[in-house]
Amino acid sequence: MPNWVDVGSVADIERDGRLVVRVNGREVGVVTDGKGVLRGIRNRCPHHGGPLCLGRVGERVGGDPGVYELTGRWTLRCPWHGWEFDLETGLCLDEPTLRTAVYPVRVEDGRVLLGA
Amino acid sequence: MIDCDIHPQVADPEELISYIDPAQREWFRAQGPSLGLPGYSWVHPSSWFRQDIDQNGHPPASDVDTVRRELLDPSGTDAGVLNGDDAVLVSLMPSPYRAAELARAHNEWLRERWLDAEPRLRASILCPAQDPQAAAAEIRRVAGDERFVQVLLCGGADRPYGEPRYLPIFEAAAESGLPVAIHSGGEGMGIAAPPGGAGPVTFYIEWHTLGSACSTMSHLVSLLCHGTFERLPSLKVLLIEGGIAWLPGMLWRLDTNWRALRSEVPWLDRKPSEVAREHVRFSTQPLEHTDGRDETLFEMLEAAGAPDNLVFASDYPHWDFDDPGFMLNRLPDAWRAKVLHENAADLYGARLALPADA
Repeated sequence: MPNWVDVGSVADIERDGRLVVRVNGREVGVVTDGKGVLRGIRNRCPHHGGPLCLGRVGERVGGDPGVYELTGRWTLRCPWHGWEFDLETGLCLDEPTLRTAVYPVRVEDGRVLLGA
Repeated sequence: MIDCDIHPQVADPEELISYIDPAQREWFRAQGPSLGLPGYSWVHPSSWFRQDIDQNGHPPASDVDTVRRELLDPSGTDAGVLNGDDAVLVSLMPSPYRAAELARAHNEWLRERWLDAEPRLRASILCPAQDPQAAAAEIRRVAGDERFVQVLLCGGADRPYGEPRYLPIFEAAAESGLPVAIHSGGEGMGIAAPPGGAGPVTFYIEWHTLGSACSTMSHLVSLLCHGTFERLPSLKVLLIEGGIAWLPGMLWRLDTNWRALRSEVPWLDRKPSEVAREHVRFSTQPLEHTDGRDETLFEMLEAAGAPDNLVFASDYPHWDFDDPGFMLNRLPDAWRAKVLHENAADLYGARLALPADA
């Protein structure tokens, strides 16, 4: 069982779009994916160490040559070089040798709890 | 040894005109020796050609005997691929109709004057790339003759070849089991964009340095970004005479950009450099000169897929050709068999198989 840590209120995330907190000595962010699901992800890009959680959340685009299709997969794009990370798995989709930590998140009485 | 780039010359324009449809002969004849093909803004101050070749009063390499005597026999070439020289510029003629006819005539000329005369020779199909439907039709018409081993496009173009309007050409080639060779040349001529990306250049030395490399890079990056190889998984592309020392840097740059900009080209689901390794081959001539630092060059090229992506080309009979014997000595031991023979044999497959008595 993870140790659930209270990292802020849902209202904070609704207001700021994200939360960035320090948990067990590491910076962790909580962001909302396009379906309204809260995702916890480490605030450090494994590429060059950029503040990953300050990046943009979006839906990954796929498709055959010449065709653009939404994939239903929500990603976070590092604000430094734009590399794209899967919010569910932490995997860097464009460089699969890289992955960052993801954390379970749940909401209780308007509070955001991060499983660390 | 397989030589992927030999340029047959036309001894006399009338020779080619005799293959032109009678209804168009008067027009082509009226254009003079260029036959309406666009030309350089310069003439090479000494010569476009090697000056030591016995020419019998004709341009060098304008008959099969000369090519046998000067190139095939002394170098022990098992197979050589003929690539139209000035004629590859058909794609840059303003009129796609004249271009289609000249390409067709040149393909027939190659067939009768060269391929029928020498079993070691193979040829590239010329086509009018400015009219991709007509080009595809010409490729399908000629591909039945298995002595034609690839489709030939020129480096000069009004837009890079990944553009979807060119797709019929690549589809026809892939369907016919033919690689597409893109040979540098023609940049800035006729309907082609200027070489180098910064406007027209001043000197031939600039053109010869920039045009060949820059158009080759542009076509490579375009084909990779448009997903041409994802559309046509069997397609192979051979880049001729555009150099290769730039390849590692260009692919690394493209891979890095792909990670950040993939949403523009979301059909690329793996690194462009991996796709290039699988689908793109390069000819050796002109293998960059390194002031004695060949080991550094070869190490860099290995990082970008060499020697598996390299084939030998002499560029005979041009002034900057590579002597087969010289290249043989320059290549690392472990590269020689692949570059001089095996990679081209893989690329051209059964069409290269020589007659049993050859």
